Amino acid sequence: MALHFSSAHPISALHPLLCFFLHDTYPEMEYASGLQRQLASMKKNLFDQGYLDEQFYQLEELQDESSPNFVEEVVTLFFRDSSRLVANIDQALQKYPQDFRRLDNFMHQLKGSASSIGAAKMKNECTSFREFCNKENREGCLRSFQKVKKEHAVLKQKLENYFQLLKQVGPVDKATHSGN
Amino acid sequence: MEEGEGSNGGVFEGGLEVRVLVVDDSPVERRMVEGLLKKSGAMFQVIAVDSGKRAMEVLGLTDDKAEHPTVDHQKVDIILTDYSMPEMTGYDLLKTVKEQSCRKPIPVIIMSSENEPQRISRCRAIGAEDFILKPLQTNDVLRLRSYARPTELSPRTGTKRKMTLELMAENSGSDRRPRLAGLAVS
Repeated sequence: MALHFSSAHPISALHPLLCFFLHDTYPEMEYASGLQRQLASMKKNLFDQGYLDEQFYQLEELQDESSPNFVEEVVTLFFRDSSRLVANIDQALQKYPQDFRRLDNFMHQLKGSASSIGAAKMKNECTSFREFCNKENREGCLRSFQKVKKEHAVLKQKLENYFQLLKQVGPVDKATHSGN
Repeated sequence: MEEGEGSNGGVFEGGLEVRVLVVDDSPVERRMVEGLLKKSGAMFQVIAVDSGKRAMEVLGLTDDKAEHPTVDHQKVDIILTDYSMPEMTGYDLLKTVKEQSCRKPIPVIIMSSENEPQRISRCRAIGAEDFILKPLQTNDVLRLRSYARPTELSPRTGTKRKMTLELMAENSGSDRRPRLAGLAVS
């Protein structure tokens, strides 16, 4: 927040004094404030670009003093589990003849987990994959799976960056839905 | 410890505790449901397992129960199970629980990401108390409180969601656990 001092304002006389007392802390405060803005912007982009949906707010709502790292914990759990499922699907796609039911089961699990953390783009790509599965369209499944893997990798990177920045910012008040 | 059926939960400081057995093969969804239940208030004690088979063990409904009569089976007040699970589905678990616990049936609520009317009616037909769409929300968890099982002495209520849990003072001469009574839950 910028502080504006008018030369006509009596408090302007205090400005040098304030700077003198705060000179050690004001740059730090400004830095912290900048990080918070960066964090808020990053989070807003995740939602605006469709990577996350409202379900992510549900995760945040469940974070409190008794579970201070709930969001990161669940997201970490998600990427551990989803990586396993992606590997299973990759393997299953190499087999011939294709077991579409098995593929669909794996993708159903992946979609469910993605949905639970609000991973919107991933969830949508999982849905597309399952549609190809239902039609037993192997080529469609292969193309769709590339998109699933891409969205998985992109989201993983973005959320890793987000949590890294969150750690730098430190404990903050719960973010509003506007992401500010 | 007593068998899994016939429990009305323990009493802990602050009020009635309802033991919820959460059954889901997804670790993410288990953690989410656990978080939701714990956030909703201290009244839920959560037991989370990753399969129908494991749920059967917790409930004391496995075949080897007779071989291990001293196994400490946990009491469960509500079962919240995913529908789609490998080997033993939520439907299979529901069917088994309803068949086994006919004397004091444990409420079973099915969770599913698929909003399929046939699936819902199939579950309700064999006694599922409710069917909740995933991902679960806070409102869904609050509904669970209305499914805490009544005792034999609870009066009839006007709506299906209102139940009365009856408190019986613990008899110093018996092993019966105290239960909550006279409390209308809506």
